[in-house]
Amino acid sequence: MRLLDWLRFRIATLFRRSQMSAEMEEELRAHIQYRADDLERSGLSRKEAERRARIEFGGHVRYKEECREAAGGVFFDSLLRDVRFGVRVLRKSPAFTVTAILTLALGIGANAAFFSVIRSVLLTPLVNREEDRLIYIQQSAPGTQVDNATFSIPEITDISRNLKTIGAIGTFSTTDFTAQGFGETREIHAGVVDGGYFEVMGLKPVMGRLLDARDDGLNAPGAVVLTYKFWATGLGADPNVIGRVIRLGSMMQVRSATIVGVLEPSIPYPAETEIIANIVTSPHHLSATMVQGREHRMTDLFGRLAPGATLKSARAELRTVYGGMTAAHPEVYKPQDHFQIDARRLRDQINVEASTILWVLFGASGLLFVIACSNVANLMLARTVRREAELSVRSALGASNAAIRRSLLAESLVLCASGGLAGVLVAIPMVGVLARYALRYTVRAGDLTVDFSLLWMGLALALVAAFFLAFVPRLPSADSSRGLGLTSGSNRFTGSSRRRIRVFTVIQIAASFLLLASAGVLFRTLLSLQKAQPGIETGHVLMANLPLLSDGRTPQQVAQFYQEAQRNVSELPGVESAATCMFAPWRDGRFLTFALQFSVEGRERESSKEDLRARFRFVSPGYFATLGIPLVEGRDFTEADRGGAEFVVVVSKSVADRLFPGQDALNRHIMWTDPLIKYADISPEPRRIVGVLADIDDANIIPQPNLTIYTPFAQGPIFGANLLVRTKSDPYTMVPTITKTIRAAAATQPVEHTSTLQDVRMEVLADKRVNALVFGGFAALALTISIVGVAGVLAFGVSWRTREFGIRLALGAQPSGILAGVLIDGVKITAIGVVAGGLVGWGLSRLAGNYVPELKLPEPLLLFASAAVIFAAAAIASLLPAARAARVDAVQALRAE
Amino acid sequence: MADQAQLLPGTLDLLILRAVSLGPLHGYGILLRIGQISGNALLIEQGALYPGLFRLVRQGLLKASWGTSENNRRAKFYELTAAGRKRLREETANWNRLAAAIGSALASQPEEV
Repeated sequence: MRLLDWLRFRIATLFRRSQMSAEMEEELRAHIQYRADDLERSGLSRKEAERRARIEFGGHVRYKEECREAAGGVFFDSLLRDVRFGVRVLRKSPAFTVTAILTLALGIGANAAFFSVIRSVLLTPLVNREEDRLIYIQQSAPGTQVDNATFSIPEITDISRNLKTIGAIGTFSTTDFTAQGFGETREIHAGVVDGGYFEVMGLKPVMGRLLDARDDGLNAPGAVVLTYKFWATGLGADPNVIGRVIRLGSMMQVRSATIVGVLEPSIPYPAETEIIANIVTSPHHLSATMVQGREHRMTDLFGRLAPGATLKSARAELRTVYGGMTAAHPEVYKPQDHFQIDARRLRDQINVEASTILWVLFGASGLLFVIACSNVANLMLARTVRREAELSVRSALGASNAAIRRSLLAESLVLCASGGLAGVLVAIPMVGVLARYALRYTVRAGDLTVDFSLLWMGLALALVAAFFLAFVPRLPSADSSRGLGLTSGSNRFTGSSRRRIRVFTVIQIAASFLLLASAGVLFRTLLSLQKAQPGIETGHVLMANLPLLSDGRTPQQVAQFYQEAQRNVSELPGVESAATCMFAPWRDGRFLTFALQFSVEGRERESSKEDLRARFRFVSPGYFATLGIPLVEGRDFTEADRGGAEFVVVVSKSVADRLFPGQDALNRHIMWTDPLIKYADISPEPRRIVGVLADIDDANIIPQPNLTIYTPFAQGPIFGANLLVRTKSDPYTMVPTITKTIRAAAATQPVEHTSTLQDVRMEVLADKRVNALVFGGFAALALTISIVGVAGVLAFGVSWRTREFGIRLALGAQPSGILAGVLIDGVKITAIGVVAGGLVGWGLSRLAGNYVPELKLPEPLLLFASAAVIFAAAAIASLLPAARAARVDAVQALRAE
Repeated sequence: MADQAQLLPGTLDLLILRAVSLGPLHGYGILLRIGQISGNALLIEQGALYPGLFRLVRQGLLKASWGTSENNRRAKFYELTAAGRKRLREETANWNRLAAAIGSALASQPEEV
């Protein structure tokens, strides 16, 4: 508070200055007039009287200056003068100035950029009307490792009936259509919503209208709304798009729909789509499977809190209703699966992944700021000590402590303002990079722009740094020993400055150690991921998505088309083999790890309790050869394994080992028993095992043990396909030829997302790689700054002890001993810093562990490695000053003082 | 004028407070009043008065306001604040103690020691 009052007074006097100056002038002139009146009365002429009065008054300008100082209006005046002086002083030591400004620019820039991102991603409200009443309802089943199960239509009907705390419910599910009417026929991502959805979300159209009650139900005409991004970038913001009719194909059927409007820019959640359509456009949404299947979950649920209701009361009511529903269907909600329901504000739900990561990174950049400030503080301290003669002289000549402090403040203001400015310049491009990074975790980073908050943050940090730095150096104290300071080597306040420098260095090293260890953890994770061998040929296998075209063909015709495409491609020169499969390895996320219940013929009685689940893959003949997975026994699928023929399967080795230990698995029968198979059109009939395949994992980067059952692609069901092509040379050169070959069989067939399996794997790793790089970048910066810090401290220590070294050398000490002494000094500081960093890190991780349960402490080896890096860096940093100490010329050193 | 004594450091403030305590005055008036009450024995450089006045205003011991003087000139008048009155009492007591002590020290005779 005192600081605020002080500032207010200074600023008030600053603005009052010109007025005060005029009044002062008037007062002094009045005085001279009075005196002249008196003198005139004693007989002088008026002119002579005034002249005498002025002479008697003395130095008019000087007194005015003194008055102004006495009135307290001089602070900013003098500060301006000091700033000009400071600029001149700083220009004289460019090395110090540039180092300090760069260091501050890094610290301030990183923080300003992160703050900008955090502000717009986490702190600004969504565009939705009354967005703080908008909630996302989530069903999860920890027992089956499903975090977000979404909902089925029967569940939504049960839950949303008679809710009191939630005024309205909106539903959204994603599906892919093959769309005609947007140029070339292509696969399009769509949301399918009910008529109340947009009202619940509180969104507005920029053109036309949104979907509402009239678009609900089975008899409404097909209607779609374009999302803003698709309209603006995909359709060139075409103003005549309203009313256009497009054709949407799915489930072997084609429906037409009219474009009725364009949605305002808003955050897409749970998925980014190009269009949002009403229910009649999607035959699947009208099917019995969807409407009656309690376990057919694919719908996200949004709600708007009723007036007067809170999130807490809504949660409580949802749990009660949900409890009733699960109790009524025990066969679906098994106790061991732990089905549960929860609700969150939509804003929080969207940022669920990003908030932790962003705050952690913000913390890291905060550490960087601390390191940067400590380092500049060190440089300042060392400089002040070198300038102590100057400061002592100024003090002795009558400059008050306040005046000296002011001139130091002016210097640090100049430094920090330049640093802040440079920091903001660094931050502006950084925001773009960070936004792209944050986009991996939250869609909200998509519309992020640089705004003034960045500037304010930079300014605020610069001010904090400036005040901190100005108050770091100790001043010559105003005690009685002032006279001594000038004469006796002026070492008086060096001791305490040295201590402070050491403290700041320890802080720097501790913070660097923390960052380095964190970066180490991430790099290690990344390394182990990159080292992992998939057991599949990835470098020479090209994958292309061939989405299903719904143009009235029968399933047999579709299967034939894919077979033909595969055969034609495999006959191309340069192609070793080709195959089709339904799920894209590593890319098709949730499908890949999804496992269905199955059982073995003749075994179901004895182990009815056993919950056997396996992943399911639909693959064509040649799939195993194309990916280079060896068959342990039995045979590959052939073209004879088609629809209508005997159902056959190939199982992974772990399935065979688990089910038939020590026996022959071939020719045994298994069948799918999962209740979900009826929704996917998978037959429950027994299937004969014709082959056993080596274990692989096409879902995780680091192979995990898993049970997998392969069924022939041609025995269906077919929802689409991925073509896998193994080539002799660079796979990417084959893309045009392959596309042409497929188009020859079906002219409108889209060929999408072509890339090698290796690149698909790398895409999955991209998140981890960027994380590690960002942290690694922080750590490298921090380490660089700290090394400068350690070197600075030791160099300062050496120059301070030059005389001591001189005496020791004169008395016969070995230069090597002195060198070792300085080195040990550096290592000692580093050791304290590392220990402090370790303790702080341990405490922080304990604290953070409460919020981020998956947080792990780094293993000891990694900590040792980080510590070793820091020690090595410190030793190198110590070498230069140590060498200088050892080279001290005894005679010179003694004469210098 | 030749017999005027140099002012001891720090005593100007005390004299200003005393002069103003007798009634609101403008700057020149304060100078005249000090001359009057000290029997013209003290030398005050005229300009040096003003920094003192500004300092006392800033310390809240004096209050200044613009008004019109007896000969119709605009002038700034100073008067004591409550804090100024209190300070004047304290400083007067201090001064008296100091003066008495120094006076008795200087008047001491060899046989008294």
